[in-house]
Amino acid sequence: MRCLSLLVAAAFVATPLAFAATPDAVRSDIAARVKEKLPDLAPSDYALGAAALDPELRARVQDNAAAAAPVVASGKALWTRKFKDGRSLSGCFPNGGRRVAQTYPQYDARLKRVITLEMAVNQCLKAHNETLYDPAEPETMGAVTAYVRSLADGQRAAVRMPAGADERFEQGRRLYFTRMGQRNYACASCHMQGAGKRFGEVPISPPIGQATHWPVIRDGKAVTLQARMRECLELMGAAPFPAGSEELNDLEFFLSYLSNGQPLAANPYRNW
Amino acid sequence: MRGTCLFAAIAAALAVPCAAQTVAPPPSFLAPALGYCIACHQLPENIGPRTRADLGPALTGERMRTLGRTKVREIIEDPTKANPDTVMPPYGRHRILEAAEIQKLVEFLLALP
Repeated sequence: MRCLSLLVAAAFVATPLAFAATPDAVRSDIAARVKEKLPDLAPSDYALGAAALDPELRARVQDNAAAAAPVVASGKALWTRKFKDGRSLSGCFPNGGRRVAQTYPQYDARLKRVITLEMAVNQCLKAHNETLYDPAEPETMGAVTAYVRSLADGQRAAVRMPAGADERFEQGRRLYFTRMGQRNYACASCHMQGAGKRFGEVPISPPIGQATHWPVIRDGKAVTLQARMRECLELMGAAPFPAGSEELNDLEFFLSYLSNGQPLAANPYRNW
Repeated sequence: MRGTCLFAAIAAALAVPCAAQTVAPPPSFLAPALGYCIACHQLPENIGPRTRADLGPALTGERMRTLGRTKVREIIEDPTKANPDTVMPPYGRHRILEAAEIQKLVEFLLALP
């Protein structure tokens, strides 16, 4: 019985509420716990992530904004490139892609799955018989999302939760709180239990606001949220789910919904 | 006599930093692929790299000796036994570290100032 208790406790790290809780109830509970854990951190600063917890990092976010310019320019070129049929990526999205990124990822009720911005880009490419981008490739998908998300800078995250989407949110929540890998970490081990603490020299960000500042620019390349998740999973000693997998899509959906209301800030400088 | 006193004083002065330098973290304490303990725990001054890491408690000799050799080893091997919600990896249970590496860590921690 003791072994079973330990297994249950190890499987779910401080799960916030009963499994049947609504997405809004989960979000409210997590917000309250973050507020309790980090009382001095203004909710308006959550979107800064770890930079909100370190004055030196906060100062560098603006100073290094120029590092994103070449990546964004490269992404714009891809976004406006003419396909063989004369169309372009910009033509697949409302307003040419301006002020749309804040609504992603989206739940497709017909397909019953989460559609990330990267998947929407590839859907457009496929519809026009163009070569698809590797969702984790910085030079193509990273650059494209760096550009189109920059067109939504300052917009408040507004991920919708239509009927049926709560199941994907719940799957994302379960993954976030489930220990996995050789190191026995859950995402929540660091970002809930350890929020505000330092791993090495880097402060650990809380989950709210985490989904707003992607891709990050590291060594001149755009690193998407799912690429970063894969890096984390490797650090955890777990085989990383592929970019675009149902697991990572659900995780991104969960994190993005948590960040609703937070302002998007694409392409901040990061070195982690 | 005076020479003996002088010799003893010099030897004593050298002994303190020498003792501190012999307490060096083993590779498993620092290597990301192994224990990577330094990522979460601070060490006493002059023992290994200085960090601001605080995901885990600061490690001191007094704390380790209070816990005792057996308890320190148990914590490294499987910290979930004492605390199911711990963030610390189960280095022994999940075979992240070999028994000999855990032993070196135990000896290092007990020798901390």
